[in-house]
Amino acid sequence: MSQSTAIATRELTKTYKDVRALDNINLDLEAHRIYGLLGRNGAGKTTLMSILTGQNYPDHGTALIFGHEPFEHDPTLSRICFIRESQKYPEDFKVHQAFTAAAMFFENWDEQLAQNLVQDFGLPTKRRIKKLSRGQLSAVGVIIGMASRAEITFFDEPYLGLDAVARQVFYDRLVEDFAEYPRTIVLSSHLIDEVANLLEHVIVIDKGRIVIDADAEDLRGAAVTVTGEAAKVQEFIGAATVLHRDGLGALSSVTIKTQLDADRREQAKLMGLDLSPVSLQQFVVRSALSETATATGEKTEARS
Amino acid sequence: MNRIIKVARMQLINKATFIGIPLLILASAFLVTLAIWWLVRRNGGDGVLYGGGAQAPMWYFLALGIQALTMTFPFSLGMSISRRSFYLGTVGLFSACALVLSVFYYLMGLVETATGGWGVDGRFFALQWIADNNWFVQIMFYFVLMILLFMMGFFSATIYLRWKTMGVLVLVVGLALILLAAATVITLSGNWVPIGRWMASLTAGSVTLLGTVLALALGSGSYATLRKAMA
Repeated sequence: MSQSTAIATRELTKTYKDVRALDNINLDLEAHRIYGLLGRNGAGKTTLMSILTGQNYPDHGTALIFGHEPFEHDPTLSRICFIRESQKYPEDFKVHQAFTAAAMFFENWDEQLAQNLVQDFGLPTKRRIKKLSRGQLSAVGVIIGMASRAEITFFDEPYLGLDAVARQVFYDRLVEDFAEYPRTIVLSSHLIDEVANLLEHVIVIDKGRIVIDADAEDLRGAAVTVTGEAAKVQEFIGAATVLHRDGLGALSSVTIKTQLDADRREQAKLMGLDLSPVSLQQFVVRSALSETATATGEKTEARS
Repeated sequence: MNRIIKVARMQLINKATFIGIPLLILASAFLVTLAIWWLVRRNGGDGVLYGGGAQAPMWYFLALGIQALTMTFPFSLGMSISRRSFYLGTVGLFSACALVLSVFYYLMGLVETATGGWGVDGRFFALQWIADNNWFVQIMFYFVLMILLFMMGFFSATIYLRWKTMGVLVLVVGLALILLAAATVITLSGNWVPIGRWMASLTAGSVTLLGTVLALALGSGSYATLRKAMA
Protein backbone atom coordinates (compact mmCIF):
# COMPACT_ATOMS: atom_id res chain seq x y z
CA MET A 1 0.00 0.00 0.00
CA SER A 2 1.50 3.29 -1.05
CA GLN A 3 1.56 6.52 0.89
CA SER A 4 -1.12 8.00 -1.32
CA THR A 5 -3.63 5.20 -0.76
CA ALA A 6 -6.73 6.68 0.82
CA ILE A 7 -8.92 3.58 0.90
CA ALA A 8 -7.91 -0.07 0.69
CA THR A 9 -10.21 -3.04 1.09
CA ARG A 10 -9.31 -6.72 1.13
CA GLU A 11 -11.84 -9.54 0.80
CA LEU A 12 -14.55 -7.29 2.20
CA THR A 13 -17.72 -9.30 2.71
CA LYS A 14 -21.05 -8.45 4.29
CA THR A 15 -24.13 -10.62 4.44
CA TYR A 16 -27.60 -9.58 5.52
CA LYS A 17 -29.64 -12.63 6.46
CA ASP A 18 -29.76 -14.37 3.07
CA VAL A 19 -28.43 -11.55 0.89
CA ARG A 20 -24.74 -11.20 0.19
CA ALA A 21 -24.53 -7.39 0.08
CA LEU A 22 -20.78 -7.34 -0.48
CA ASP A 23 -18.86 -10.27 -1.86
CA ASN A 24 -15.08 -10.27 -1.62
CA ILE A 25 -14.42 -6.62 -2.44
CA ASN A 26 -10.80 -5.69 -3.15
CA LEU A 27 -10.24 -2.03 -3.94
CA ASP A 28 -7.47 0.55 -3.75
CA LEU A 29 -8.46 4.19 -3.99
CA GLU A 30 -5.74 6.77 -4.29
CA ALA A 31 -5.90 10.11 -2.56
CA HIS A 32 -6.88 13.29 -4.39
CA ARG A 33 -8.97 11.75 -7.12
CA ILE A 34 -12.66 11.72 -7.96
CA TYR A 35 -14.15 8.25 -8.02
CA GLY A 36 -17.51 7.20 -9.30
CA LEU A 37 -19.18 4.36 -7.46
CA LEU A 38 -21.79 3.19 -9.88
CA GLY A 39 -24.35 0.45 -9.76
CA ARG A 40 -28.02 -0.31 -9.63
CA ASN A 41 -30.19 0.17 -6.59
CA GLY A 42 -29.42 -2.59 -4.13
CA ALA A 43 -26.08 -3.38 -5.76
CA GLY A 44 -24.22 -2.73 -2.51
CA LYS A 45 -23.07 0.88 -2.97
CA THR A 46 -24.46 2.21 0.30
CA THR A 47 -23.32 -0.86 2.26
CA LEU A 48 -19.81 -0.41 0.91
CA MET A 49 -19.76 3.29 1.77
CA SER A 50 -21.17 2.64 5.26
CA ILE A 51 -18.39 0.18 5.98
CA LEU A 52 -15.72 2.52 4.60
CA THR A 53 -17.00 5.24 6.92
CA GLY A 54 -17.32 3.09 10.04
CA GLN A 55 -21.09 3.39 10.10
CA ASN A 56 -21.26 -0.33 9.48
CA TYR A 57 -18.78 -3.19 9.81
CA PRO A 58 -17.86 -6.16 7.62
CA ASP A 59 -18.45 -9.84 8.42
CA HIS A 60 -15.13 -10.68 6.85
CA GLY A 61 -12.15 -8.87 5.37
CA THR A 62 -10.72 -5.45 6.08
CA ALA A 63 -11.33 -1.86 5.07
CA LEU A 64 -8.48 0.52 5.76
CA ILE A 65 -8.78 4.31 5.59
CA PHE A 66 -5.33 5.89 5.54
CA GLY A 67 -4.12 2.60 6.98
CA HIS A 68 -6.66 2.42 9.82
CA GLU A 69 -9.90 0.57 10.33
CA PRO A 70 -12.49 3.35 10.60
CA PHE A 71 -14.97 1.50 12.82
CA GLU A 72 -15.12 3.35 16.17
CA HIS A 73 -11.78 5.05 15.48
CA ASP A 74 -12.33 8.77 16.07
CA PRO A 75 -9.04 10.05 14.58
CA THR A 76 -9.83 8.25 11.31
CA LEU A 77 -13.53 9.09 11.35
CA SER A 78 -12.75 12.79 11.70
CA ARG A 79 -11.12 12.69 8.25
CA ILE A 80 -14.24 11.31 6.56
CA CYS A 81 -17.59 12.76 5.61
CA PHE A 82 -20.48 10.59 4.47
CA ILE A 83 -24.00 11.99 4.34
CA ARG A 84 -26.40 9.26 3.36
CA GLU A 85 -29.03 9.69 0.70
CA SER A 86 -31.51 8.79 3.48
CA GLN A 87 -29.63 10.78 6.15
CA LYS A 88 -31.70 11.40 9.25
CA TYR A 89 -31.50 14.67 11.14
CA PRO A 90 -32.69 15.39 14.68
CA GLU A 91 -36.47 15.89 14.62
CA ASP A 92 -36.45 19.49 15.76
CA PHE A 93 -33.37 20.67 13.85
CA LYS A 94 -33.52 23.61 11.51
CA VAL A 95 -31.24 23.70 8.49
CA HIS A 96 -28.78 26.15 10.03
CA GLN A 97 -28.56 24.01 13.18
CA ALA A 98 -27.43 21.04 11.12
CA PHE A 99 -24.70 23.25 9.68
CA THR A 100 -23.72 24.42 13.19
CA ALA A 101 -23.28 20.79 14.21
CA ALA A 102 -21.31 19.96 11.07
CA ALA A 103 -19.02 22.95 11.66
CA MET A 104 -18.16 21.49 15.09
CA PHE A 105 -17.22 18.04 13.86
CA PHE A 106 -15.54 18.70 10.53
CA GLU A 107 -12.32 20.52 11.26
CA ASN A 108 -11.87 21.87 7.75
CA TRP A 109 -15.40 23.25 7.62
CA ASP A 110 -15.64 26.34 5.43
CA GLU A 111 -18.56 28.48 6.55
CA GLN A 112 -18.21 30.86 3.62
CA LEU A 113 -18.49 28.00 1.15
CA ALA A 114 -21.53 26.70 3.01
CA GLN A 115 -23.17 30.13 2.84
CA ASN A 116 -22.42 30.46 -0.87
CA LEU A 117 -23.95 27.07 -1.54
CA VAL A 118 -27.03 27.98 0.49
CA GLN A 119 -27.44 30.95 -1.85
CA ASP A 120 -26.82 28.85 -4.96
CA PHE A 121 -29.39 26.25 -3.96
CA GLY A 122 -31.83 28.81 -2.56
CA LEU A 123 -32.08 26.80 0.65
CA PRO A 124 -34.29 28.22 3.46
CA THR A 125 -31.95 27.81 6.45
CA LYS A 126 -34.51 28.74 9.07
CA ARG A 127 -36.90 26.01 8.04
CA ARG A 128 -37.16 22.75 9.98
CA ILE A 129 -35.40 19.95 8.14
CA LYS A 130 -38.41 17.66 8.30
CA LYS A 131 -40.40 20.27 6.36
CA LEU A 132 -37.95 20.36 3.45
CA SER A 133 -38.69 18.94 0.02
CA ARG A 134 -36.66 16.00 -1.26
CA GLY A 135 -34.49 18.30 -3.34
CA GLN A 136 -33.83 20.68 -0.45
CA LEU A 137 -32.97 17.71 1.76
CA SER A 138 -30.43 16.56 -0.84
CA ALA A 139 -29.04 20.09 -0.91
CA VAL A 140 -28.43 19.99 2.86
CA GLY A 141 -26.41 16.80 2.41
CA VAL A 142 -24.50 18.20 -0.54
CA ILE A 143 -23.62 21.38 1.38
CA ILE A 144 -22.40 19.44 4.42
CA GLY A 145 -20.37 17.17 2.15
CA MET A 146 -18.77 20.04 0.24
CA ALA A 147 -18.20 22.50 3.10
CA SER A 148 -16.77 19.78 5.37
CA ARG A 149 -13.76 19.59 3.02
CA ALA A 150 -13.09 16.20 4.62
CA GLU A 151 -10.07 14.37 3.25
CA ILE A 152 -12.40 11.66 2.00
CA THR A 153 -15.89 12.77 1.08
CA PHE A 154 -18.66 10.45 -0.01
CA PHE A 155 -21.67 11.73 -1.92
CA ASP A 156 -24.50 9.21 -1.89
CA GLU A 157 -26.85 9.82 -4.84
CA PRO A 158 -26.55 13.54 -4.06
CA TYR A 159 -28.82 14.73 -6.84
CA LEU A 160 -32.09 13.07 -5.73
CA GLY A 161 -34.91 15.56 -6.16
CA LEU A 162 -32.58 18.31 -7.38
CA ASP A 163 -33.62 20.00 -10.60
CA ALA A 164 -31.27 20.22 -13.58
CA VAL A 165 -30.03 23.69 -12.60
CA ALA A 166 -29.26 22.67 -9.04
CA ARG A 167 -27.50 19.53 -10.24
CA GLN A 168 -25.32 21.61 -12.54
CA VAL A 169 -24.56 23.97 -9.63
CA PHE A 170 -23.42 20.94 -7.63
CA TYR A 171 -21.17 19.59 -10.38
CA ASP A 172 -19.66 23.02 -11.09
CA ARG A 173 -18.98 23.87 -7.46
CA LEU A 174 -17.56 20.43 -6.82
CA VAL A 175 -15.06 20.75 -9.66
CA GLU A 176 -14.11 24.32 -8.65
CA ASP A 177 -13.60 23.41 -5.03
CA PHE A 178 -11.78 20.20 -5.87
CA ALA A 179 -9.30 22.16 -7.99
CA GLU A 180 -8.53 24.43 -5.06
CA TYR A 181 -8.70 21.82 -2.30
CA PRO A 182 -7.84 18.42 -3.75
CA ARG A 183 -9.26 15.53 -1.77
CA THR A 184 -10.62 12.06 -2.34
CA ILE A 185 -14.19 12.14 -3.52
CA VAL A 186 -16.42 9.15 -4.01
CA LEU A 187 -19.59 9.93 -5.89
CA SER A 188 -22.23 7.25 -5.85
CA SER A 189 -24.64 7.64 -8.69
CA HIS A 190 -26.82 6.00 -11.24
CA LEU A 191 -27.04 9.08 -13.47
CA ILE A 192 -23.82 7.97 -15.01
CA ASP A 193 -23.57 10.14 -18.12
CA GLU A 194 -24.32 13.23 -16.11
CA VAL A 195 -21.32 12.73 -13.86
CA ALA A 196 -19.13 10.99 -16.44
CA ASN A 197 -17.05 14.08 -17.14
CA LEU A 198 -16.29 14.56 -13.46
CA LEU A 199 -14.97 11.09 -12.84
CA GLU A 200 -11.35 10.10 -13.02
CA HIS A 201 -11.94 6.53 -12.03
CA VAL A 202 -14.97 4.31 -12.23
CA ILE A 203 -15.96 1.48 -9.93
CA VAL A 204 -19.05 -0.48 -10.85
CA ILE A 205 -20.62 -2.79 -8.34
CA ASP A 206 -23.31 -5.33 -9.11
CA LYS A 207 -24.90 -7.81 -6.73
CA GLY A 208 -22.18 -7.11 -4.21
CA ARG A 209 -19.31 -7.72 -6.62
CA ILE A 210 -16.97 -5.31 -8.35
CA VAL A 211 -17.56 -5.64 -12.09
CA ILE A 212 -15.54 -2.67 -13.29
CA ASP A 213 -12.60 -0.95 -11.61
CA ALA A 214 -10.87 1.18 -14.21
CA ASP A 215 -9.83 4.70 -15.11
CA ALA A 216 -12.62 6.61 -16.80
CA GLU A 217 -10.27 7.43 -19.67
CA ASP A 218 -9.74 3.75 -20.42
CA LEU A 219 -13.44 3.07 -20.38
CA ARG A 220 -14.45 5.81 -22.79
CA GLY A 221 -13.06 4.00 -25.85
CA ALA A 222 -13.41 0.54 -24.41
CA ALA A 223 -16.44 -0.50 -26.38
CA VAL A 224 -18.05 0.17 -29.71
CA THR A 225 -21.41 -0.58 -31.29
CA VAL A 226 -21.35 -2.14 -34.73
CA THR A 227 -24.51 -1.86 -36.80
CA GLY A 228 -25.31 -3.35 -40.19
CA GLU A 229 -26.30 -6.52 -41.96
CA ALA A 230 -26.41 -9.30 -39.37
CA ALA A 231 -24.07 -11.68 -41.18
CA LYS A 232 -21.49 -9.00 -41.83
CA VAL A 233 -21.65 -7.75 -38.29
CA GLN A 234 -21.03 -11.26 -37.08
CA GLU A 235 -18.10 -11.66 -39.44
CA PHE A 236 -16.61 -8.35 -38.33
CA ILE A 237 -16.85 -8.85 -34.59
CA GLY A 238 -15.37 -12.34 -34.68
CA ALA A 239 -14.51 -13.53 -31.20
CA ALA A 240 -14.77 -10.16 -29.45
CA THR A 241 -16.67 -10.03 -26.15
CA VAL A 242 -20.27 -9.11 -26.86
CA LEU A 243 -21.84 -6.77 -24.33
CA HIS A 244 -25.16 -6.36 -26.00
CA ARG A 245 -27.00 -7.54 -29.06
CA ASP A 246 -30.03 -5.98 -30.76
CA GLY A 247 -31.65 -7.31 -33.87
CA LEU A 248 -34.26 -5.98 -36.25
CA GLY A 249 -34.94 -8.24 -39.22
CA ALA A 250 -31.76 -8.70 -41.19
CA LEU A 251 -30.09 -5.84 -39.35
CA SER A 252 -28.25 -6.22 -36.14
CA SER A 253 -26.54 -3.92 -33.75
CA VAL A 254 -23.90 -5.42 -31.50
CA THR A 255 -21.90 -3.74 -28.78
CA ILE A 256 -18.48 -5.30 -28.36
CA LYS A 257 -15.80 -4.71 -25.84
CA THR A 258 -12.75 -3.85 -27.83
CA GLN A 259 -10.70 -0.91 -28.94
CA LEU A 260 -10.62 -0.51 -32.70
CA ASP A 261 -7.55 0.78 -34.45
CA ALA A 262 -7.61 2.71 -37.73
CA ASP A 263 -7.29 -0.44 -39.86
CA ARG A 264 -10.27 -2.09 -38.24
CA ARG A 265 -12.33 1.07 -38.64
CA GLU A 266 -11.44 1.18 -42.31
CA GLN A 267 -12.44 -2.46 -42.62
CA ALA A 268 -15.82 -1.74 -41.06
CA LYS A 269 -16.40 1.06 -43.51
CA LEU A 270 -15.59 -1.21 -46.45
CA MET A 271 -18.02 -3.82 -45.14
CA GLY A 272 -20.74 -1.17 -44.95
CA LEU A 273 -20.96 -1.29 -41.18
CA ASP A 274 -21.72 1.63 -38.93
CA LEU A 275 -19.57 2.23 -35.86
CA SER A 276 -20.90 4.29 -33.01
CA PRO A 277 -19.22 5.20 -29.73
CA VAL A 278 -20.59 3.82 -26.50
CA SER A 279 -21.19 6.26 -23.68
CA LEU A 280 -19.95 5.48 -20.21
CA GLN A 281 -23.51 4.92 -19.10
CA GLN A 282 -24.23 2.47 -21.90
CA PHE A 283 -20.97 0.70 -21.27
CA VAL A 284 -21.69 0.35 -17.56
CA VAL A 285 -25.27 -0.73 -18.10
CA ARG A 286 -24.24 -3.30 -20.70
CA SER A 287 -21.36 -4.59 -18.60
CA ALA A 288 -23.32 -4.79 -15.40
CA LEU A 289 -26.24 -6.53 -17.06
CA SER A 290 -24.05 -8.84 -19.06
CA GLU A 291 -23.40 -11.99 -17.06
CA THR A 292 -20.29 -12.64 -19.13
CA ALA A 293 -18.51 -9.62 -17.69
CA THR A 294 -16.57 -11.55 -15.11
CA ALA A 295 -15.16 -9.67 -12.18
CA THR A 296 -11.71 -11.18 -12.55
CA GLY A 297 -11.21 -10.21 -16.18
CA GLU A 298 -12.13 -6.59 -15.51
CA LYS A 299 -9.92 -6.33 -12.52
CA THR A 300 -6.77 -7.60 -14.17
CA GLU A 301 -7.25 -5.02 -16.84
CA ALA A 302 -7.65 -2.20 -14.34
CA ARG A 303 -4.71 -3.21 -12.19
CA SER A 304 -2.23 -3.49 -15.02
CA MET B 1 -12.22 13.82 24.77
CA ASN B 2 -12.71 16.79 22.54
CA ARG B 3 -15.27 15.01 20.38
CA ILE B 4 -17.16 13.81 23.46
CA ILE B 5 -17.64 17.42 24.58
CA LYS B 6 -18.68 18.35 21.05
CA VAL B 7 -21.38 15.66 21.20
CA ALA B 8 -22.70 17.29 24.38
CA ARG B 9 -22.66 20.67 22.63
CA MET B 10 -24.50 19.18 19.66
CA GLN B 11 -27.22 17.84 21.98
CA LEU B 12 -27.52 21.39 23.33
CA ILE B 13 -27.93 23.07 19.94
CA ASN B 14 -31.61 22.91 20.71
CA LYS B 15 -31.53 24.04 24.31
CA ALA B 16 -35.20 23.30 24.93
CA THR B 17 -34.72 19.53 24.81
CA PHE B 18 -32.32 19.12 27.71
CA ILE B 19 -32.89 22.30 29.71
CA GLY B 20 -35.97 24.29 28.73
CA ILE B 21 -38.62 21.57 28.71
CA PRO B 22 -37.69 19.93 32.07
CA LEU B 23 -37.70 23.34 33.76
CA LEU B 24 -41.01 24.21 32.15
CA ILE B 25 -42.56 20.94 33.31
CA LEU B 26 -41.25 21.46 36.84
CA ALA B 27 -42.42 25.08 37.00
CA SER B 28 -45.91 24.23 35.74
CA ALA B 29 -46.27 21.26 38.10
CA PHE B 30 -45.17 23.44 41.01
CA LEU B 31 -47.46 26.36 40.20
CA VAL B 32 -50.47 24.09 39.66
CA THR B 33 -49.75 22.38 42.99
CA LEU B 34 -49.47 25.74 44.77
CA ALA B 35 -52.80 26.83 43.29
CA ILE B 36 -54.48 23.63 44.47
CA TRP B 37 -53.00 24.02 47.96
CA TRP B 38 -54.28 27.57 48.12
CA LEU B 39 -57.78 26.37 47.17
CA VAL B 40 -57.63 23.60 49.79
CA ARG B 41 -56.60 26.04 52.52
CA ARG B 42 -59.28 28.51 51.46
CA ASN B 43 -61.88 25.82 51.96
CA GLY B 44 -60.58 25.15 55.43
CA GLY B 45 -58.54 21.98 54.80
CA ASP B 46 -55.93 21.35 57.50
CA GLY B 47 -52.89 19.17 58.08
CA VAL B 48 -49.75 18.85 55.96
CA LEU B 49 -50.40 18.91 52.20
CA TYR B 50 -48.35 16.62 49.98
CA GLY B 51 -47.79 17.12 46.26
CA GLY B 52 -46.15 14.57 43.97
CA GLY B 53 -45.45 17.06 41.20
CA ALA B 54 -41.68 17.00 41.72
CA GLN B 55 -41.60 13.69 39.87
CA ALA B 56 -43.16 15.24 36.76
CA PRO B 57 -39.87 16.08 35.01
CA MET B 58 -38.59 12.58 35.80
CA TRP B 59 -41.11 11.01 33.42
CA TYR B 60 -39.98 13.40 30.74
CA PHE B 61 -36.47 11.99 31.24
CA LEU B 62 -37.77 8.56 30.26
CA ALA B 63 -38.89 10.07 26.96
CA LEU B 64 -35.71 12.11 26.72
CA GLY B 65 -33.65 8.92 26.97
CA ILE B 66 -35.48 7.57 23.93
CA GLN B 67 -35.34 10.89 22.07
CA ALA B 68 -31.66 11.58 22.69
CA LEU B 69 -30.90 8.34 20.95
CA THR B 70 -33.46 8.02 18.17
CA MET B 71 -33.30 11.67 17.15
CA THR B 72 -29.59 12.27 17.30
CA PHE B 73 -27.77 8.96 16.87
CA PRO B 74 -28.28 8.52 13.10
CA PHE B 75 -27.26 12.15 12.63
CA SER B 76 -24.16 11.71 14.76
CA LEU B 77 -23.03 8.82 12.56
CA GLY B 78 -23.33 11.23 9.63
CA MET B 79 -21.15 13.67 11.55
CA SER B 80 -18.46 10.94 11.67
CA ILE B 81 -18.80 10.50 15.43
CA SER B 82 -17.90 7.15 16.95
CA ARG B 83 -20.61 5.37 18.91
CA ARG B 84 -18.38 5.59 21.95
CA SER B 85 -18.11 9.39 21.73
CA PHE B 86 -21.83 9.65 21.11
CA TYR B 87 -22.61 7.56 24.18
CA LEU B 88 -20.20 9.31 26.51
CA GLY B 89 -21.15 12.78 25.31
CA THR B 90 -24.89 12.18 25.55
CA VAL B 91 -24.91 10.33 28.86
CA GLY B 92 -22.35 12.76 30.26
CA LEU B 93 -24.47 15.76 29.31
CA PHE B 94 -27.58 14.24 30.82
CA SER B 95 -25.71 13.39 34.03
CA ALA B 96 -24.56 17.00 34.33
CA CYS B 97 -28.12 18.28 33.78
CA ALA B 98 -29.51 15.74 36.27
CA LEU B 99 -26.92 16.71 38.88
CA VAL B 100 -27.75 20.42 38.57
CA LEU B 101 -31.47 19.67 38.82
CA SER B 102 -30.93 17.39 41.85
CA VAL B 103 -29.05 20.13 43.68
CA PHE B 104 -31.87 22.49 42.73
CA TYR B 105 -34.43 20.06 44.24
CA TYR B 106 -32.40 19.91 47.43
CA LEU B 107 -32.12 23.71 47.66
CA MET B 108 -35.82 24.16 46.95
CA GLY B 109 -36.47 21.61 49.72
CA LEU B 110 -34.51 23.85 52.12
CA VAL B 111 -36.52 26.88 51.02
CA GLU B 112 -39.72 24.87 51.41
CA THR B 113 -38.85 23.96 54.99
CA ALA B 114 -37.72 27.50 55.81
CA THR B 115 -40.93 29.08 54.48
CA GLY B 116 -43.19 26.68 56.36
CA GLY B 117 -44.12 24.81 53.19
CA TRP B 118 -44.57 27.93 51.02
CA GLY B 119 -46.77 29.42 53.73
CA VAL B 120 -49.42 26.74 53.34
CA ASP B 121 -47.61 23.80 55.02
CA GLY B 122 -47.22 22.02 51.69
CA ARG B 123 -44.57 19.44 50.77
CA PHE B 124 -43.45 19.48 47.17
CA PHE B 125 -39.67 19.13 47.26
CA ALA B 126 -39.00 18.13 50.86
CA LEU B 127 -41.04 14.94 51.15
CA GLN B 128 -40.44 13.63 54.68
CA TRP B 129 -39.10 10.24 53.67
CA ILE B 130 -36.38 11.91 51.59
CA ALA B 131 -35.85 15.16 53.47
CA ASP B 132 -35.05 13.35 56.72
CA ASN B 133 -31.72 12.26 55.23
CA ASN B 134 -28.52 14.28 54.98
CA TRP B 135 -27.83 16.50 51.96
CA PHE B 136 -25.74 13.93 50.16
CA VAL B 137 -28.36 11.17 50.27
CA GLN B 138 -31.07 13.64 49.21
CA ILE B 139 -29.16 14.87 46.17
CA MET B 140 -28.04 11.36 45.21
CA PHE B 141 -31.58 10.05 45.54
CA TYR B 142 -32.93 12.54 43.00
CA PHE B 143 -29.88 12.15 40.79
CA VAL B 144 -30.02 8.35 40.64
CA LEU B 145 -33.76 8.39 40.02
CA MET B 146 -33.33 10.75 37.05
CA ILE B 147 -30.42 8.75 35.62
CA LEU B 148 -32.39 5.52 36.06
CA LEU B 149 -35.41 6.81 34.14
CA PHE B 150 -33.22 8.27 31.40
CA MET B 151 -31.32 4.99 31.12
CA MET B 152 -34.54 2.97 30.91
CA GLY B 153 -35.55 5.04 27.89
CA PHE B 154 -32.05 5.01 26.42
CA PHE B 155 -31.68 1.25 26.87
CA SER B 156 -34.99 0.37 25.23
CA ALA B 157 -34.15 2.75 22.37
CA THR B 158 -30.79 1.06 21.77
CA ILE B 159 -32.51 -2.33 21.79
CA TYR B 160 -34.97 -1.02 19.21
CA LEU B 161 -32.20 0.50 17.12
CA ARG B 162 -30.27 -2.74 16.99
CA TRP B 163 -32.98 -5.41 16.87
CA LYS B 164 -36.07 -3.39 15.98
CA THR B 165 -39.55 -4.39 17.14
CA MET B 166 -38.57 -8.02 17.72
CA GLY B 167 -35.85 -6.94 20.13
CA VAL B 168 -38.17 -4.76 22.18
CA LEU B 169 -40.77 -7.53 22.17
CA VAL B 170 -38.27 -10.08 23.46
CA LEU B 171 -37.14 -7.58 26.11
CA VAL B 172 -40.66 -6.85 27.36
CA VAL B 173 -41.86 -10.46 27.27
CA GLY B 174 -38.61 -11.61 28.89
CA LEU B 175 -39.03 -9.06 31.66
CA ALA B 176 -42.64 -10.14 32.22
CA LEU B 177 -41.56 -13.80 32.43
CA ILE B 178 -38.84 -12.99 34.96
CA LEU B 179 -41.31 -11.07 37.13
CA LEU B 180 -43.80 -13.91 36.84
CA ALA B 181 -41.16 -16.46 37.83
CA ALA B 182 -40.18 -14.33 40.82
CA ALA B 183 -43.81 -13.98 41.89
CA THR B 184 -44.28 -17.74 41.56
CA VAL B 185 -41.25 -18.51 43.69
CA ILE B 186 -42.34 -16.00 46.36
CA THR B 187 -45.90 -17.32 46.41
CA LEU B 188 -44.92 -21.01 46.56
CA SER B 189 -42.43 -20.38 49.35
CA GLY B 190 -44.94 -18.17 51.19
CA ASN B 191 -42.55 -15.24 51.37
CA TRP B 192 -44.84 -12.29 50.54
CA VAL B 193 -44.96 -11.02 54.12
CA PRO B 194 -41.17 -10.82 54.60
CA ILE B 195 -40.89 -9.18 51.14
CA GLY B 196 -43.50 -6.61 52.12
CA ARG B 197 -41.68 -5.95 55.37
CA TRP B 198 -38.40 -5.56 53.48
CA MET B 199 -39.98 -3.05 51.09
CA ALA B 200 -41.43 -1.03 53.95
CA SER B 201 -38.01 -0.95 55.59
CA LEU B 202 -36.34 0.60 52.55
CA THR B 203 -34.83 4.01 53.16
CA ALA B 204 -34.03 6.70 50.61
CA GLY B 205 -30.41 5.61 50.99
CA SER B 206 -31.02 1.95 50.19
CA VAL B 207 -33.33 2.83 47.28
CA THR B 208 -30.56 5.06 45.94
CA LEU B 209 -28.10 2.17 46.13
CA LEU B 210 -30.48 -0.21 44.39
CA GLY B 211 -31.17 2.41 41.73
CA THR B 212 -27.45 2.92 41.19
CA VAL B 213 -26.90 -0.78 40.58
CA LEU B 214 -29.82 -0.92 38.14
CA ALA B 215 -28.76 2.28 36.34
CA LEU B 216 -25.21 0.98 35.97
CA ALA B 217 -26.51 -2.30 34.56
CA LEU B 218 -28.73 -0.47 32.04
CA GLY B 219 -25.90 1.94 31.23
CA SER B 220 -23.41 -0.80 30.41
CA GLY B 221 -26.11 -2.76 28.58
CA SER B 222 -26.87 0.28 26.42
CA TYR B 223 -23.20 0.82 25.70
CA ALA B 224 -22.61 -2.77 24.67
CA THR B 225 -25.71 -2.69 22.46
CA LEU B 226 -24.89 0.66 20.89
CA ARG B 227 -21.32 -0.26 19.98
CA LYS B 228 -22.55 -2.38 17.09
CA ALA B 229 -25.76 -0.52 16.27
CA MET B 230 -26.51 0.89 12.83
CA ALA B 231 -28.51 3.97 11.99
